[in-house]
Amino acid sequence: MSAEAYPPTIPPAAPPNPLEAHRQRHAAQLAGHLKEAARDRRVELALGTLAAGTLALIAAMLVTVLVNGWPSFAANGLGWFGNGGDPVTQFRAMQTGTALPGHPLLYFSAWPLIWGTLLSTIGAVAIALVVSTLAAIFITEFAPVPVRRVLEPVVRLLAGVPSVIYGLVGLLLIAPWVEGLISTQRKEAVQYVVQLSGEGLLTATLVLTVMILPIMIALTSGALAAVPSAWREGSVALGVNRWRTIWRVSVRAARPAIVSATVLGTARALGEAIMLAMLGGGRPWAPNPLDGLTFFFEPIQPLAASIVKEFGDNPNTPIGHTVYAFGALLLFSAALLSLAGWAVRQPLKRYGIGI
Amino acid sequence: MRAHRTLAVSLTLALMLAAPTAAVAAKRLIIGGSTSVLPLQQKLAAAYHRQFPHIPEPKVEGGQSDIGIAGAASGRFDIGDSSRDPLSTDPKGLVFTKIARDGICVITNDKNPVKNFAQTTIQGIFSGSVRDWSEVEGSTQTGPIELFDRSSASGTQDAFQNIFMGEDLRISPAASAEDSNGEEQNAVSASPGAIGFVSFAYTAGVNAAAYQGVACSLRNARSGQYGGVRNFWMVTKGGPKGEAAKYIAWVTSGSKTTKNIINSNWIAVH
Repeated sequence: MSAEAYPPTIPPAAPPNPLEAHRQRHAAQLAGHLKEAARDRRVELALGTLAAGTLALIAAMLVTVLVNGWPSFAANGLGWFGNGGDPVTQFRAMQTGTALPGHPLLYFSAWPLIWGTLLSTIGAVAIALVVSTLAAIFITEFAPVPVRRVLEPVVRLLAGVPSVIYGLVGLLLIAPWVEGLISTQRKEAVQYVVQLSGEGLLTATLVLTVMILPIMIALTSGALAAVPSAWREGSVALGVNRWRTIWRVSVRAARPAIVSATVLGTARALGEAIMLAMLGGGRPWAPNPLDGLTFFFEPIQPLAASIVKEFGDNPNTPIGHTVYAFGALLLFSAALLSLAGWAVRQPLKRYGIGI
Repeated sequence: MRAHRTLAVSLTLALMLAAPTAAVAAKRLIIGGSTSVLPLQQKLAAAYHRQFPHIPEPKVEGGQSDIGIAGAASGRFDIGDSSRDPLSTDPKGLVFTKIARDGICVITNDKNPVKNFAQTTIQGIFSGSVRDWSEVEGSTQTGPIELFDRSSASGTQDAFQNIFMGEDLRISPAASAEDSNGEEQNAVSASPGAIGFVSFAYTAGVNAAAYQGVACSLRNARSGQYGGVRNFWMVTKGGPKGEAAKYIAWVTSGSKTTKNIINSNWIAVH
C-alpha cells in the first residue's frame, strides 16, 4: 500500500474569485434548465404520442365504418334514404341470398329506420329539455339544502345505470301499462297493416327521455349554480320578482350549458341501441302522424337498435354492408350534431356561463 | 425518484399477486349463443364445476344461435351454442357436436287457452293469412292476432320455420321480432291476443298448445310423437381442443349427472 492516505483526500479547490463563483453558479443553473427542458420535451413527446394515437384510433374507426358501409350506399344511391319497401323483406332477401325481383342483392330502403330514429330522438330530447330545465331550476333555486344534498348524487347515479336495466323496467312495468291503453278497436282498425302492442313509439320515447334526463339535469344544474350571485342579487335589487330573476338572469346566462346538455342528450338518444331494441316493438316501421292517437302505439326500430338486431358478426355479407351503412349514417349525424351545438353556442357565449 | 420507486414496487407487488393465480388456474371457458340452449348450458356448467372444483365454472352467455356460431368461428367464444342444424352459409371449419334434443312449443296467452293447432292453422296464422282469432277454432279471444316472431339470428326461428312452416311459407314480416326466448315468453304473456313460439324450457306463465293433436310435453317429445323437436349443438372451430374438449367430452359422456340434467327438461341423446 502506498503511503497515500485512504480514502484519498481531495485537495480543497482554490478559493474562487467572485467572478468565477458567479460564472459557476450560472453554468449550474443553465445545466439545470437544459435538463428540465429536455425532460419537458420528453413528456411532451409522450403525451403527444398518446393524443395522436387516440386520433389515429378514431380515424381508423371512421375509415373502417365508411369502407365497409360503402357498398350498400353504392348499390342503392339516394334511394337508400327513401321508402322503397319493407325492410324486413329486404333483410330476408339479403340473408337468403336471393335478390328481390328487379332489384340488386344489396337493395335497401332505410326510411322507416331513419324516421323511427328521428321521432324517438327528437321526442325524447324535447320532453327532456323542458323537464331537465325545470328540475335543474328546482334543484338549484327552490330545493331545501337537505333535499338538494340527496337529489344531486341521485341524479348522477341515475346517469350510470346501464341501458339493459332501463329496457327491463320498460318491458316489465311500462309496456303492460301502455298495452292497457290500446283498445281492441284500435288494434282492429290497423290489423291488416301493422300490429299495435305495449312496445312502440310511446314506450320507447318515454324510457329514452328518462335515460337522457340525468345527464341533462346534472349539466344544467351545474351551470345554474355557477351563475354569479352578484347578477341575481342585482336583479332582485332592481325589484324583479324571484321567478323572473331565475328565468331572465340565471337560465339566460346558463343557455350555453343548456345547449351542451341538449347536444349530449341527443347524442345519447341517437346511440341508444339495447333499450330501443327491447322496447321498440320489433318491427322496422315508419309511424304515420296522420293516424291520430294510433301513431303513438306503432312500432319503431331506430338505426342503432337495427344494428343490434341484424348484425351477425361478418362485415363482408350484404347484411354486414347494410349494417355498417347504418353506422356510417349515425357517425355522420353525431358529427353534424357536434357542429350544430358549437354553432348554436357561439352567439350565446358573450354573456353566458359556458361549459 | 421516490415516486418512481413507489410506483415500481407497487406494480411489481400487484403483478406478483396476480401471477400465481393466473398460472395455476385453468382457463375459464366462455360459452355463448342460443338462448334456447342457455338454461341447459347453465345447469351443465354449474354441475361441471361442482364435479371438478379446481376447474373454473364456464361462463355462459346468450345472443341467439347465429351469434354463437359466428362467435365460435371468430374466437369470441370457446364454444358456441346452436339450436339449429348447420347451414351452408355458416363459416367454414366448424365442428358441430350434438348434445341434446329440444321441443318447440307454440304458445298463446293464458287468457286464450287454445288446446290444439293443426299444421294448416299454424301456417295460416304465422304467414299472415289468418288475421283474427274469430277465424281460429278453439280460441276464446275475438280480436286481431298478435304475432310474435324471433329475430333473424335465432336458431329457434330457423327450426320453427323448417318444422312448422315448411319450405314454401315464410313468417309474416308484420310480426314483432323478439331477441330471445325470454322476451318472447314475456311478450306473449303480456298481451291476450298474442301467439308465438318458444323452446320447451320457457313455457311457464303461458299456454303451450298441442300440435296436431299431440300435447307439447317432454314425454311426447321423448317418445317421438310430438313433431316439433330439434337438435342442440355445441360448436367449436375445428375439433374441440384443451379445456373445451374436456368439457364437451364430459357433457356427451352420458354419465348419470349429465343425463339427469338433460332429461329434466330436454331429451338426452347420449
